[in-house]
Amino acid sequence: MIDERMEEQASLHVLGLLTGTEQLEFTRALQSDPELQALVARLSTATGALAGAVPLVEPPPQLRAKMLAQVTPPQKTVSLPEPKFRVARWLPWAFATSLAVVCAGLFLQDSQLRKTVGDQARQIGTLNQLALSLEASTNSLRQAVLALQETNRMANLRIAMLNSLAADAPNSVAVTLWDNKRQDGIFVAQNLKTLPTDRDYELWVIDENQKPVAAGVFQVAANGSVRMEFKPAQLIKTAGVFAVTEEIKGGVASPTVKNMVLASSATR
Amino acid sequence: MNAIAQTDFVRVLSTIDTRLARHCLLLTKTVNEQATRDHDAELLQRIGAMDRSAFAEFYDKYSAFLFSIASRILNDASEAEDVLQETFLQIWAKAGDFNPKLGKASSWAAILVRNKAIDRIRSSQRRLRLAQEAGVEYAAGTVVEETANGAVHGHERARLIQTALVELPPEQRRAIELAFYSGLTQNEISEQLKEPLGTVKARIRRGMLKLRDQLEGLL
Repeated sequence: MIDERMEEQASLHVLGLLTGTEQLEFTRALQSDPELQALVARLSTATGALAGAVPLVEPPPQLRAKMLAQVTPPQKTVSLPEPKFRVARWLPWAFATSLAVVCAGLFLQDSQLRKTVGDQARQIGTLNQLALSLEASTNSLRQAVLALQETNRMANLRIAMLNSLAADAPNSVAVTLWDNKRQDGIFVAQNLKTLPTDRDYELWVIDENQKPVAAGVFQVAANGSVRMEFKPAQLIKTAGVFAVTEEIKGGVASPTVKNMVLASSATR
Repeated sequence: MNAIAQTDFVRVLSTIDTRLARHCLLLTKTVNEQATRDHDAELLQRIGAMDRSAFAEFYDKYSAFLFSIASRILNDASEAEDVLQETFLQIWAKAGDFNPKLGKASSWAAILVRNKAIDRIRSSQRRLRLAQEAGVEYAAGTVVEETANGAVHGHERARLIQTALVELPPEQRRAIELAFYSGLTQNEISEQLKEPLGTVKARIRRGMLKLRDQLEGLL
C-alpha cells in the first residue's frame, strides 16, 4: 500500500524535484517495490504527456544526418579476451617455470643420491671383502696362536720315563707328562703287580732341592696297567724325578724308599 | 470574447467532447498501443546494441516531439538543437538503461530532453525569467492546436491529452508546469507561487495523480 507521502515523493521524482538525499532514498525504495514501480510508470507516462503538450516544432532537416554521423558503431575487432588481472596471465607460466626448476633440482638431487648410494654400496662391498679377509686372517692367526700355544704347551711339558726298581716286577714301566706351568700331569704305567686291598701305589714328584711331594695314590688293573691324571698337593718349582712307592692304603706323607717300585732316571 | 471567456468556452466543449472520445478510445484501445510500447522498447534494446538503423527509426519517430519540448523550455531554437543532439547521443549511449517497467519510451526520452534543457538554463541563470514566461503563458490555459503529442500519439489523442491538462485545477497545473518546464526547485516554486512548501508539494501530488487518472486509457 502506497501512502500519501510516497505518492508525493513519486510525483516529485518524475518531475525531477527530489533533492539528492531524497532521490537516493526514493530510488532505493523503488528498486524493491513493484507497486511503487507501477505508480512511477503511470506518473511518468502522465509527465511525458505533459511534456508533449507544447507546440510542435520540427527540428532542422539536416540534423538527422548530423546525428547519424555521430553514432558510428565501434569497429568490430576480433581480439582475445583480456585477462582481468595481468598477474593471472603470468601465473601459469610462473607456476610451470617453478615446477621445471623444482623438477631439475630433484633430478640433480636424485642423480647425486644414486651416485652416493652406488659409491656406498661399492664401499660396503669392499668392506665386506676386507671383513672376510680379516676374518680369514683372524682365523689363521687364531690357528697360529693355537698352534703356538700348543707349541708353547709342548715346550712346557716334561716327559719322564720311570723304570722298574722291583725285583718281583722287573718289566714294569711308566711314563709321566708334566706341565710345570699348569702344575699337573698324566701318569701311565704297565706291568705292575697287583697289590692287596690294604695297599696302594703312591706317585711322588721330587722337586729339585726339595722334599718329595705326593701326587696321588692308585691301584692297577688286573693286567697291571693304569692311567691317571695327577696334581701335586704343593707347588713344584722344577720337577726333577718322578717315583712310585708301595704304601699303606690311602698313602703316606713321606715316601717309603725301600718300597720304591718305579723311578725316573732323568727328565727333559 | 476575452481570453478568460474563450478558455471557459473551450473547456466546456472539450469536457463534453473528451468524455465521448475517451469512451470511444477506451473501447477501441488498443492492441496497437501495447504493440507500440513493445516496439519502442525493442528499438531501445537494439540501440543499446549499437544498431544505427534502430537509432534512425527512433530519431524519425521522436525527434520532433523532443525538439518541441527542448524549444518550449529553452525558448531558443539553436540551444534546443544542441540539447536535442545531446539527448540523442545520450539515448545512443544509455538506451540499455531503459526499464520498460518504469514507463514508456516516449516518457523516458521526454524526461531526458527536459533534464538536458533544464541543466542548460540552470547554467545560464535564466530560470526565473523563463519560469515567469511559462507562468504567463500557461496561466492563460492556452489550447495549442498542434502539439508535440500529436507527432507521437496522433492528433485526436493529443487533443484529448491537451483537454485533460486543461481540466486540471489551475493551481495544480501551475505548480506542475513550473516544476517541469522551469527547473525550479521545490523552494523556488514555493517562492514563485508565494505558497508554503507543503502546499506546493500537496498540489503537485494531487495534480499528478489527477493527470494520471485522466490520461489512464489514453496513453
